[in-house]
Amino acid sequence: MANLWTGYIWPTAITVAEIIAIIVPVLVGVAYLTYAERKVIGAMQLRKGPNTVGPFGLFQPLADGAKLFFKETIFPTNANRGVFLVAPALTFFLAMVAWAVVPFDEGWVLANINVGVLYLFAISSLGVYGIIMAGWASNSKYGFLGALRSAAQMVSYEVSIGFVMIAVLLCVGSLNLTDIVHAQAKGVWFIIPHLPLFIIFFISGLAETNRSPFDLPEGESELVAGYMVEYSSMIFAMFFLGEYANMILMSATITTLFLGGWLSPLPFAPFTWVPGIIWFVLKVCVILFGFLWVRATMPRYRYDQLMRLGWKVFLPFSLVWLVLTAGVLEFGGLLPK
Amino acid sequence: MELPNFSLALPEIFIALSGMALLILGVFRKQEATQGIAILAVITMVLAALLVPAASGNRAETFGGMFVVDGFAVFSKLLVLVASSLCLVMSVNWLVKEKLERFEYPVLVLFATLGMLLMISANNLIALYLGLELQSLSLYVLAAYQRDSGRATEAGLKYFVLGSLASGMLLYGSSLIYGFAGTTGFDALAKALEHGAPVGVIVGLVFVLAGLAFKISAVPFHMWTPDVYEGAPTPVTAFFAVAPKIAAFSLLVRVMVGPFGAVTAQWQQVVVFVSVASMLVGSFGAIAQSNIKRLMAYSSIGHVGYGLIGLAVGDQVGIRGLLIYLAIYLFMNVGTFAIILAMRQKGRLLEGIDDLAGLSKTHPMMAVAMAIFMFSMAGVPPMAGFWGKFYVFMAAVDKGFITLAILGVLTSVVSAYYYLRIIKVMYFDEPKEALDRGVSGSLTFIMGVNALLIVVFTFIPSPLVSSAGAAAASLFGG
Amino acid sequence: MIQALVFYVFAAITVASGVMVISARNPVHAVLFLILAFFNSAGLFLLAGAEFLAMVLVVVYVGAVAVLFLFVVMMLDINFVKLREGFLQYLPIGALIGLILLVELALVYGSWSFAPEAPLSVATRVPDLAVVTNTDALGRLLFTDYFYLFQVAGLVLLVAMIGTILLTLRSRPGVKKQNIARQNARTKETSVELRKVPTRGGI
Repeated sequence: MANLWTGYIWPTAITVAEIIAIIVPVLVGVAYLTYAERKVIGAMQLRKGPNTVGPFGLFQPLADGAKLFFKETIFPTNANRGVFLVAPALTFFLAMVAWAVVPFDEGWVLANINVGVLYLFAISSLGVYGIIMAGWASNSKYGFLGALRSAAQMVSYEVSIGFVMIAVLLCVGSLNLTDIVHAQAKGVWFIIPHLPLFIIFFISGLAETNRSPFDLPEGESELVAGYMVEYSSMIFAMFFLGEYANMILMSATITTLFLGGWLSPLPFAPFTWVPGIIWFVLKVCVILFGFLWVRATMPRYRYDQLMRLGWKVFLPFSLVWLVLTAGVLEFGGLLPK
Repeated sequence: MELPNFSLALPEIFIALSGMALLILGVFRKQEATQGIAILAVITMVLAALLVPAASGNRAETFGGMFVVDGFAVFSKLLVLVASSLCLVMSVNWLVKEKLERFEYPVLVLFATLGMLLMISANNLIALYLGLELQSLSLYVLAAYQRDSGRATEAGLKYFVLGSLASGMLLYGSSLIYGFAGTTGFDALAKALEHGAPVGVIVGLVFVLAGLAFKISAVPFHMWTPDVYEGAPTPVTAFFAVAPKIAAFSLLVRVMVGPFGAVTAQWQQVVVFVSVASMLVGSFGAIAQSNIKRLMAYSSIGHVGYGLIGLAVGDQVGIRGLLIYLAIYLFMNVGTFAIILAMRQKGRLLEGIDDLAGLSKTHPMMAVAMAIFMFSMAGVPPMAGFWGKFYVFMAAVDKGFITLAILGVLTSVVSAYYYLRIIKVMYFDEPKEALDRGVSGSLTFIMGVNALLIVVFTFIPSPLVSSAGAAAASLFGG
Repeated sequence: MIQALVFYVFAAITVASGVMVISARNPVHAVLFLILAFFNSAGLFLLAGAEFLAMVLVVVYVGAVAVLFLFVVMMLDINFVKLREGFLQYLPIGALIGLILLVELALVYGSWSFAPEAPLSVATRVPDLAVVTNTDALGRLLFTDYFYLFQVAGLVLLVAMIGTILLTLRSRPGVKKQNIARQNARTKETSVELRKVPTRGGI
């Protein structure tokens, strides 16, 4: 009996607690990211943004959530019900599952697996399914067009994201995310030697999360709202949550790969007193601000320009940079291990 | 770390690199560079052919035993390179006349040739499969090259689907063999099979044999051949008919004699059956054909049957006969296809046998060349084709495969009917409408060279026989 | 015990979704089941300790190949009911071939034996996984012993790429393409002309 307790139930309970400890902050983060987005864009457009519900409009996300929760779920005629329902659940689920390997601080990681980077990459490449299934199951032209656009876009930009990741991995010699941060602790943050890659990764991240200026899949002026056009109430909310969680995840990935994860920017006294998790969150917030800033500033890309950028600019560049990195590491005697 | 010996694979590396270089050149220079690229590709193959013997000498392995070079490989590689370059020379003129100049064509021929060379040198089941796929994939694309023609796309698709099936069978068989031996290397396999093979390995062997039989279009895996030969563009058909067959034959010989040499009794009966069936289908199937490309397809099935007799015998003499047969087959076929490519009427390519009527009056030299090829194919003594058959049949008789040899003689008598019919049409039928004059220089050159070579083989067969004998000996560790 | 349980769950779902792939009426559902099968196979790889392969399976097959499958199936308006019309007609012969293969397989399995050298030659390839990680071991093998095969596989992919472009790329005349370099190189002098237009004169 004791064996059962120590062998199975107790570890399971701990894992569940850890999962909750990750998911709840992420969800709160998502809620306040929507708030921050409206406030930041408001400020950039010389408006106030939400300011009525609660002090400074702080309860606005809760009010939005409650509104969506009480709305009616509408199924379009001839929609493929099963797939229609699975799609948002999948998007939400994938956006949560990916957090399992993200190291928030030294040792603060749910699953410290050896192939962490690949895991993140795999999960993010699955994200396209939620969208394409939603678009197809809605039985709507707008939805389907949006889904096709989005799928092509995400598959294209994944390629350059993959090459960027490989270039970083070459400098680390491991696919473990914690090891990546450790490697940056020993040397410099990878943003310094790999600044162009950081820029490519950031832009590809925008495309991968379907954010402006690459938000063609939902381009409301032409596709109404793309693949989400037929969704309402909680199933819509799941898409929404999943999308914003993906944004935070992308920022966390950038932070881990390029900005030294939980490391303090300057490795001496007053800075190292601050716990790593704070640095991590701060860095994620900076990247997220970049996401919002771009949205407020940039006009939307045309689709052919988007594809051109992905295949004809980023892909060759990241490939050349990868070869360059390998060459410098090999001939400069800098290979890890 | 120790580097593998790259010098053994020098011709292959050279072809791969020049293929990529030509591809880049083509991308920048667009379609107008097609002719130049084709010429460069031919030069590449000639240079590679010069590099091949440099790597010869005794049997040597590299890349962890996956790549082998011996006298047999050198002989087959030279044949393949000659066949590919001749076919490419023939194609250039066709590409221009049909306004189908795309620089990918020579590049694909180059990569297909590379795949064949890798097949010939394969000393491992995975290397075998990859070489085969590299070759087949290029050929699928080439078959559908004329993409606006329904027949060509159909041919490409048919070839692709059936070819994938054959690859699947090959892989399945290989997996059974690997499951038994725990290795894919031919040398290690030979060692593992010394104590005899269980049923599983025999089943695997049969599947591998079936996959390879598809690639040489032996009966009962020949169904695709007439349709693909007919549908594919003629220069591509010419290429199909020679180069891949030589490569697949050498691969088949290497696999059967090498790792499965210990279980010869097991595969011999299968090869005998396939050989007899191919000879029968090849000779009887061709009788009713009116399209010359279909006729050549059945003819090639028949020739594969004769060649397989050499493998069925399974000893040094048999393999020597097979190699001689392949060499002569190459030149006869390339020459015949050069003539088919020259059959134009008002600029349009013709494919009917009747269209050759009266060729002796309008194009006497071409008719003479065609007659030489046809007599040779029929195996009329003392033409070169006769010597090819002679060596194979003699090997069979020596080893006691008398029925096989008799069947071979009988079927070649039947096949003589349709070969001689072509000669009859050329010399005795009245022409309806003459073919175009002014056959392009490259085609005339190829016809002439091949006819000359056939005549030379007819009277001086000894250089070919002795080099084929040396190649076969190297396979048996002699 | 848990491992066995997880194995059976993954294996059962893989097989079941494999059956669904061929029996689903809706082709899109069939592809979705195929994806499920890939996913569970990745799980099986994980159980076998092949973490790298598991992730690559998901990235390549689920993340890229199956997306394109789904694309094609969704966009092509294939009438699968019509395609299956001849199905029953060929069913007996198909079943016969399947049966023969099954019997053969059973025979092979019944009399299976391993070559005496087999365990040794398999074992020499596997390094101690407690010391090296899975990815490391695979990489070492792939870029040393299997270097030749790796290169040839690359060539096969190159040919596939050339073939696709050759067979599908059509250069249509009259398409207006954006030339970004030229656009950016335009200056005020080359593109705008300021003219004084006299009143009532026009240009």
